[in-house]
Amino acid sequence: MRNSAIIAFLLLGLTGTPAGAATTSWRSLTPAQQEALAPLSQQWDSLPELQQHRLLKTTKRYPKLTPEQKQRFHSRLEAWSKLTPEQRNAAREKYRAFSKVPAAEREQVKKMVKQNQETKVQQSASGVPAAPPSIQP
Amino acid sequence: MNMNTNSPNNNSRHIAPERIAQLLTRAAQRLDDNTIAALRQARNVALQRQSLSKPVFALSTGHSTHWLMPHSTHQWMAMIILPIAILFGGLSYWHHTQENDLSHLDTAILTDDLPLEVFVD
Repeated sequence: MRNSAIIAFLLLGLTGTPAGAATTSWRSLTPAQQEALAPLSQQWDSLPELQQHRLLKTTKRYPKLTPEQKQRFHSRLEAWSKLTPEQRNAAREKYRAFSKVPAAEREQVKKMVKQNQETKVQQSASGVPAAPPSIQP
Repeated sequence: MNMNTNSPNNNSRHIAPERIAQLLTRAAQRLDDNTIAALRQARNVALQRQSLSKPVFALSTGHSTHWLMPHSTHQWMAMIILPIAILFGGLSYWHHTQENDLSHLDTAILTDDLPLEVFVD
């Protein structure tokens, strides 16, 4: 009996969450957590436990973000939560790989992406379809 | 055994060690048979007690490792549970670190200059 209690305690420590624990309801979140996860208030209760657990961990860093970062965090949260676990893992791997690229090249990529976005915005505003990419012979 | 302790010449502080040894040997030779038998029996009892407290096999296995072997059920339990606890503790720490890294990465993706679409297929 005492040994099984010890093993249960050790397993509890391994998972970090109570064995068989149910998902956390939106109402049980702290005001700070609710503020960080506000865009997910409607679908929070239906999210899988592991996803809730990881999103709750991100809220610990939320108060330290700049207003601009907080705005980005909120605007991307819903799309992020709708991705499959495989898509999220792939995104993490891409981000990791991108972080290893030298800073100068990273800045170049950021500029290219920004220009691409501005072009798309202009084209959608003028109603002109995007030109197909030129193929080199 | 006629030793006058009041005499300064017989004081133990002034007698040479060789002289004391001679006196003890001479005194031992004068012991009666009953006293010698009692001393022999006391010596045998002392030797038996010593052999009980230090078994022969303990001497043959070596003094340096004998104390490492568990002797009771509690010690056996501790010897089994302790490595398991260390293993689970290590795994728990690794799991905790992994989760922290993931949440750090997720926050970075959600707040980066680059849009989410760049990292998502």
